[in-house]
Amino acid sequence: MSDQRPLDGVRVIDLTHVFAGPTCTRILADLGADVIRFEAPMRIDVTRNLIITDNDGDGEPWHYASYFIIRNANKREMMLDMSKPEGIDVFKKLVAGSDVVAESFTPRVMEHWGLGYRDLAQVKPDLIMISLSGYGQYGPNRDMGAYGMGLEPASGLSSITGYAGGPPVRSGLSFTDPYSGFIGAGAVLTALHYRRRTGKGQYIDLSEQEAAIPIVGAALIEQQMNGENTPRRGNRSDWSAPQGCYPCAGADRWAVISCGNDAEFAAMARTMGHGEWASDERYATVLARFEHHDELDAAISQWTSQRDMYDVMHALQAAGVKAAAVLDGSDVLRDPHFAARKRFDVIDQEPVGRRPVQRHLAARFTRFETAPRRPSPLLGEHNEEVLREIGYNDEQIAQLAADGIIDTKPRLPVPGQLIAMALKLPYERYVEAGILQRIDADYREQLGIAGADATPAP
Amino acid sequence: MPERALTDVRVVDISEGIAGPYATKLLADAGASVTKVEPPGGDFARRLGPFPGHTPDPERSGLFLLLNTSKRSVTLDVSVASGQVVLKKMLANADVFVTSERPSTLRAWGLSYDGLRMEFPELVFAQVTPFGATGPYAEYAGNSLTAMAMSSIMYNTGEPEREPLSTGGEPGAYLGGVQLWAGILAALANRARNGGGDHVDVAMCDAAAAADEYNAAMYAFQGAVRRRYYSRHIFGYPQDIVECADGHVVMIPGAGGFPTPLNKDTISPMALLLEDVDLNAHPLFMSPGERMIRWREFDELARPYLSTHGADEIVQTAQALRMPFAYVPYASDLLDDAHLAEREFFAGVEHPHAGTLKLPVAPFKMSETPLAPLSAAPALGEANAEVLSQLGYSQDELGVLSDRGVI
Repeated sequence: MSDQRPLDGVRVIDLTHVFAGPTCTRILADLGADVIRFEAPMRIDVTRNLIITDNDGDGEPWHYASYFIIRNANKREMMLDMSKPEGIDVFKKLVAGSDVVAESFTPRVMEHWGLGYRDLAQVKPDLIMISLSGYGQYGPNRDMGAYGMGLEPASGLSSITGYAGGPPVRSGLSFTDPYSGFIGAGAVLTALHYRRRTGKGQYIDLSEQEAAIPIVGAALIEQQMNGENTPRRGNRSDWSAPQGCYPCAGADRWAVISCGNDAEFAAMARTMGHGEWASDERYATVLARFEHHDELDAAISQWTSQRDMYDVMHALQAAGVKAAAVLDGSDVLRDPHFAARKRFDVIDQEPVGRRPVQRHLAARFTRFETAPRRPSPLLGEHNEEVLREIGYNDEQIAQLAADGIIDTKPRLPVPGQLIAMALKLPYERYVEAGILQRIDADYREQLGIAGADATPAP
Repeated sequence: MPERALTDVRVVDISEGIAGPYATKLLADAGASVTKVEPPGGDFARRLGPFPGHTPDPERSGLFLLLNTSKRSVTLDVSVASGQVVLKKMLANADVFVTSERPSTLRAWGLSYDGLRMEFPELVFAQVTPFGATGPYAEYAGNSLTAMAMSSIMYNTGEPEREPLSTGGEPGAYLGGVQLWAGILAALANRARNGGGDHVDVAMCDAAAAADEYNAAMYAFQGAVRRRYYSRHIFGYPQDIVECADGHVVMIPGAGGFPTPLNKDTISPMALLLEDVDLNAHPLFMSPGERMIRWREFDELARPYLSTHGADEIVQTAQALRMPFAYVPYASDLLDDAHLAEREFFAGVEHPHAGTLKLPVAPFKMSETPLAPLSAAPALGEANAEVLSQLGYSQDELGVLSDRGVI
């Protein structure tokens, strides 16, 4: 395994914020690109304030936000005021020496600043630029305001998600954000491939609504072939029966099981001590199992509810049956399979301490590593370093700092404490309401990351 | 015709189902030459449907037609030695090999990475399986549902008193496919820069877990375990699908929807939308945290307006008030959507057996090198003669392979 990575030498200028864009550029960074993020003194990434760890908003809360940290590890950062001509000047000098610009503003914002693709291609003719937006850069819905929680429904996905007979349901995350981030990374890699071959750059318009629509592709075809919209049916499938999510021993513990054919069903039945099910006329064929699915679910639940979710998974898998434990946010950090596959890397994150952060690129390779080489950047941490690299001297850098063009502290319109108060209740209240399952005071011991904090920020 | 981005990339693809085929569709629609190697009975997606009139027909499976545009199909039994010989001849002229088989199957077929890398040191060997090629669960069977179960996303989707709910539409498989596609492109970039092929190993469960928004992070940073609560984002309410007079909308007031300490004397967009300015001073308008806990009370405040207005009016009014409300379209709505039509998101692709179907063109637009279906999905084995004769097989040899059921 070499420390050379495929995108070593590629520089990415990252103007994205929140979720989709930072996911895209995090993948490029883990593949070796030098990703330089930009925040502005008057406009820091809102996720720097969303979850404020062990912190009431005093001090520098923007350096504690887990939401931000997990998506922005492995990047450098400048805090640059681009509302001033001097800021734009610095930015364009950087673009001239870069390969990719990524942005996720509302359409028209970049052009309004004179930083549209045509403008930037004047500075760097073979530039690749990607814009990630809710509904794309043109079309009647271009200017619709878009948050991730609205785009999953807008892609059609919610219309086929939900309990049978119930309303459409959003997933427990802004689904199109990570999905668009993954797609965006592949889009940039496709454009880089073309540039390697021809020397030509290009512009990529990624609509997050469109990115996720192919997931409902079968429903789109069903509608065209049979004039039917696919109904919501919980965890069941047209292709497998039984398929479902079954209760296991313990509070709110579950496992999924899916039998794709008669042989798998017979194996499941034997494992559950009910070999006779395979010849029971109610269950013997897949059509019969669809017909008697509720009854079968009740019988399966009797077996699963006596067992630990992992025992259910391993016992059924040993017999060749598709099954998995339903993991929560703490389980994924402890699962031995994820650990063996390095799903999480422990980074030394100033000033928080050692923390596991997930990889956003799931693909693993044998020739190179994709673990982050550095933690998530502090605000403006690399202002001077980057400016020196493009030829600024000490005096010029001092002048930019004196003029407030670069900075390391935000100029927020509202104090951090107020934002913290406005955005979150004490977590105990969430536990009372059932929105949080629990809070483990000793979570750092449990995760093996206690007692090794990074040195506090100066 | 405009140039395509990946015309120099040659792919041999023995994968079946959704994940692998979606990855190679994204390569094929961008110009890569993809030879789909199907078992004599065909990719199992040909048996999954949907089918016209719900009548199974391997040449008219909607899922297959969607996932295999711009490819050519060869039938080959790679589980037998003669099939493996043919496959290796194909790999000699390929940049990328794609499989969705588990490690033990590939070993049994003599097609594992460790063997093939000796013969084809520049080959990108790309594998997507439910649990990946390594780790204690590598041999486990799975599908989209097992991937979503492992991801922590499913645990956090659905109602608190009911079972966790998977997102619809086989998302675990698509996530695996997209990650495999990006991984293949990364391995090709590495080959161009640093030399050598590679093993790209994608687990569908890893791909789904990589999409986690903050479940693991909340534990890793605060020891807090989130659980499903009507699939709600923990940062405030309302940000969810709500019922209206003629269906559903996504109610998202956004950063400026409610009064804040900075602008509490201005009538907020939410009070204007709900046509009741007195609501502006309501405690639930003033405190995001309280709304999250006492959301049922909030729903009662919104119900009179929502239950008497249709989705179009609600979304358009909210957007005019600069709140990012959204629609909840069904497949039929998407196919008729004016915005998607203007962006030419769907293309009519004519298929000899299934007629013309509107298929999504691409999940993003590239200004210089379009990404769109070049041809309909292939009939089973329609390129057998073409591909094998390119490999130097004679008509007689083709006949023998065919008689023995290898092709």
